[in-house]
Amino acid sequence: MILSLCQWAQSTAFFTAIRGSWNVYPVIMATHLLGIAWFGGMILITDMRLLGLAMRNRSISDVVDQLRIPKRVGLLIVVTCGVLMLGSKAEEYYYNIFFRIKLGLLLCVFLHGMIFRGAVYMNAAALDRAARIPSRAKLAAFFSLLLWTGIACAGRGIGYVEPPLERIHAGLTHAGAHNR
Amino acid sequence: MLIQNPLNASELAFPVLECLHIIGFTISVGTIAIVDFRLLGLGMRHQKAADLNRDLWLRTLAGLVIVVFTGLLLYSSDPDTYYLNVAFLFKIVCLLAAIIFHYTIRRKVVSSDASNAYGKIVACLSMALWASVIFGGIFIGFVNAGL
Repeated sequence: MILSLCQWAQSTAFFTAIRGSWNVYPVIMATHLLGIAWFGGMILITDMRLLGLAMRNRSISDVVDQLRIPKRVGLLIVVTCGVLMLGSKAEEYYYNIFFRIKLGLLLCVFLHGMIFRGAVYMNAAALDRAARIPSRAKLAAFFSLLLWTGIACAGRGIGYVEPPLERIHAGLTHAGAHNR
Repeated sequence: MLIQNPLNASELAFPVLECLHIIGFTISVGTIAIVDFRLLGLGMRHQKAADLNRDLWLRTLAGLVIVVFTGLLLYSSDPDTYYLNVAFLFKIVCLLAAIIFHYTIRRKVVSSDASNAYGKIVACLSMALWASVIFGGIFIGFVNAGL
C-alpha cells in the first residue's frame, strides 16, 4: 500500500516536474544541506552547552531558550526540502535501505524529544539552578548528537544506493503473469 | 612509477570522508550562521555579536580545518575530474572569498558590534558566500565535466 502511494506521489505533475528539471532537484538538495548547516549548528551548540562543553559563561536557559525558535525554523527548512526530494523519487526511496534507516533514526529522535522535553529542553532554568549539570541533561545531549549525526550520515548514504527499479518492475509483472 | 591513491582502494573511504566533510561544514557554517543571524538581529539576542563570536570562533576554526582537510582528501581521489568541473571551481572561488571575507571585513564588523545597515549587509554577504560554497558543492555531482 505504501508502495502504491509512493508510485502515485512521484507520478503527480508537481513531483514529476521536480524530477525532470536538471537544476531544481540539486537546488532543493543544496537548500537541504544549507538548512542542515544552520539547524545542525544550533543543535550542536545546544547539546554542547548541555554537556558543558560550549558557551559555559552563558546560562543553559540563555542558550537553549534563545535557540528554540531558530531551531524550529531550521527544521522546517530541512523537512520541507526532504519531503520535496522524497516526493519526486518516492519509489526509489521506498526501496532505499539508507532512507529506511534514516526514517528509523528520525523516529528515534522524535521519541528522544518526547522523552527529554519536560526534564531537559523545556526545563533549562532548573538545570541552571543545579550545582552541576544533571546527568539526564548530558544523556539527552549525547543521544541527540549521536542520532542527528547518524541521520546526516544515513542521508548521505541514500545517494550511494540505486535500487534497480527496472528489475523490480520486471520481477513484479513476471510474478503477476504466473499468478494468472 | 604511479602510486595508487589509498582512498580509491577502499569502497568505504569516500563516503566516510564525505560524512566528515558534512560534519565539518555543519560545525563551521553553523557557528558562523549563529553570529550572522545575530548581526541581523535574529536568534540569540541577549548576547552581543562580539560575545557570541568570542564563544564560537574556535569551533568555527575547528570546523573549517576539518572541512578543508577532508576536502583536500576528497579532491585527491580524482584530481583531474574535479579540476575540470565548473561547479567545483565555483565552489573553491567562493570558499576562498568566504574565508578571506570572514577573517577580514566580517571580523572587524563583529568585534565592533555594528548593528547598523553595514553590519546587516556584511552578515548577508557572509551567509551568501557560504551558501554559494554549499550550492557549488552539490552541483559538482550534477554538472558534466569540462569547462
